[in-house]
Amino acid sequence: MRAGAKSRGTAQTAQAGGELKADVPAAVWGLLVAGTGLAAGGEVSGFRRLRLFELRGRLPARSRLEALLHASTQFYNPHKERCVVRTAAREPAPVPVGTPVVIVTERGGERCAAAERWWLHETGDDIEVREGVAWVVELKAGADAAAVEDLVTVRDRRHGLLCNPRSQQARIATSKVPLPWIGPPAGA
Amino acid sequence: MSAARVAVIQFPGVNCEAESVRALKRVGLEAQVFRWKRPAFELREFDAYLLPGGFSYQDRVRAGALAAKDPLVERLAEEAARGKPVLGICNGAQVLVEAGLVPGGGEVELALARNRMPDRAGYYTRWVYVRIEPSRCAFTRHLEPGTLLPMPAAHGEGRFVGDAGRLAALLDDGRVPMRYATAAGSVATEFPALPNGSEAAAAAVCNAEGNVLAIMPHPERAQDLAGLCRTISGPWALERERRAAHHTPGDNDGPGLELFRGLAARLEEVA
Repeated sequence: MRAGAKSRGTAQTAQAGGELKADVPAAVWGLLVAGTGLAAGGEVSGFRRLRLFELRGRLPARSRLEALLHASTQFYNPHKERCVVRTAAREPAPVPVGTPVVIVTERGGERCAAAERWWLHETGDDIEVREGVAWVVELKAGADAAAVEDLVTVRDRRHGLLCNPRSQQARIATSKVPLPWIGPPAGA
Repeated sequence: MSAARVAVIQFPGVNCEAESVRALKRVGLEAQVFRWKRPAFELREFDAYLLPGGFSYQDRVRAGALAAKDPLVERLAEEAARGKPVLGICNGAQVLVEAGLVPGGGEVELALARNRMPDRAGYYTRWVYVRIEPSRCAFTRHLEPGTLLPMPAAHGEGRFVGDAGRLAALLDDGRVPMRYATAAGSVATEFPALPNGSEAAAAAVCNAEGNVLAIMPHPERAQDLAGLCRTISGPWALERERRAAHHTPGDNDGPGLELFRGLAARLEEVA
């Protein structure tokens, strides 16, 4: 806990997923490269890419939470991105149920110090902010679901794209987006 | 005898091709920018290859990840397997690592991860010292181990990482030909001499044969002695001052040219 930071209240978790309103270049190029260069590329029909943030600590009510996220490009740029906020696992994620989603995080680099400093400055509350990139993997009809793993983890030039396991880690959700999803379980 | 030909491969977003061509020409090589839309089979016509710095495909997905899957890189792997030299600088190094050409074998064994720096994150640029290590690397074997070469580092994702102990094993095997060092010549252990937290202080990694080298700092930006940063000390700085004091015309060769000289020597050997 930093000096001067408030510590009252119980820990809460919120998840914010930001996505460009326009086509996401990384997703467009990822699909192109997967289709032409990867063994499992023929199984995928599209990628979506979201920047996913998880905030843990004493969080304000939802309207204030959304306003704070809207106020800083540490989280998203409302001029060009949309953002969906969840505060409970039962709330809908911006992904169709049953569509595979992969969260890719940097090993040992999930925490966003700049976002945490901004939050502390704005609210006086010392919270944890973690980030990852969520890839929505849209498979073609009848595609082998096992193709997702082959698209994700880089092994060689023909296998894997989204996660280099030497510096990153990936977790795949096949039914619905977990909350929390990034970092250790809440309360750990 | 005609000069050996080097293809300077430019993917969209690469921005260091001109100075790379200039450095190659200064050591007597013929250099040509080879853009990504040319047929891959045309790479066969060249004797060596250079992947310059920049931001190929805007660093989308991950730095170097998309270019690593390009058909040009598949062809490059074939030419490298024939023993032709390949030099990847900064983004070019990221491509070689993501393609499994360094440390070699085709499997992706390393990553160039985000810089790890105290109290800061993201892109970082600074002149650093790299120290030559014992190695079979074609680009550095003409240099005495312990030689210091100052050159600029400029990257956000330049931290060599691998599975536990992998970088140390590569160092023992002579596949880490350059490490970050202090001005006094000892291996850098702390920021900013170690600008990114790279394991084993690795600034460059090569393959087992020594003909493919991935280096994060920019030798092509240190090709002019007059351009040496004023913060740099040691023999290169003394030489620059001596020349400036005596208004010595002519030789302006900087420390970064040494790697290109190594390439030229290798190509002369195999000609």
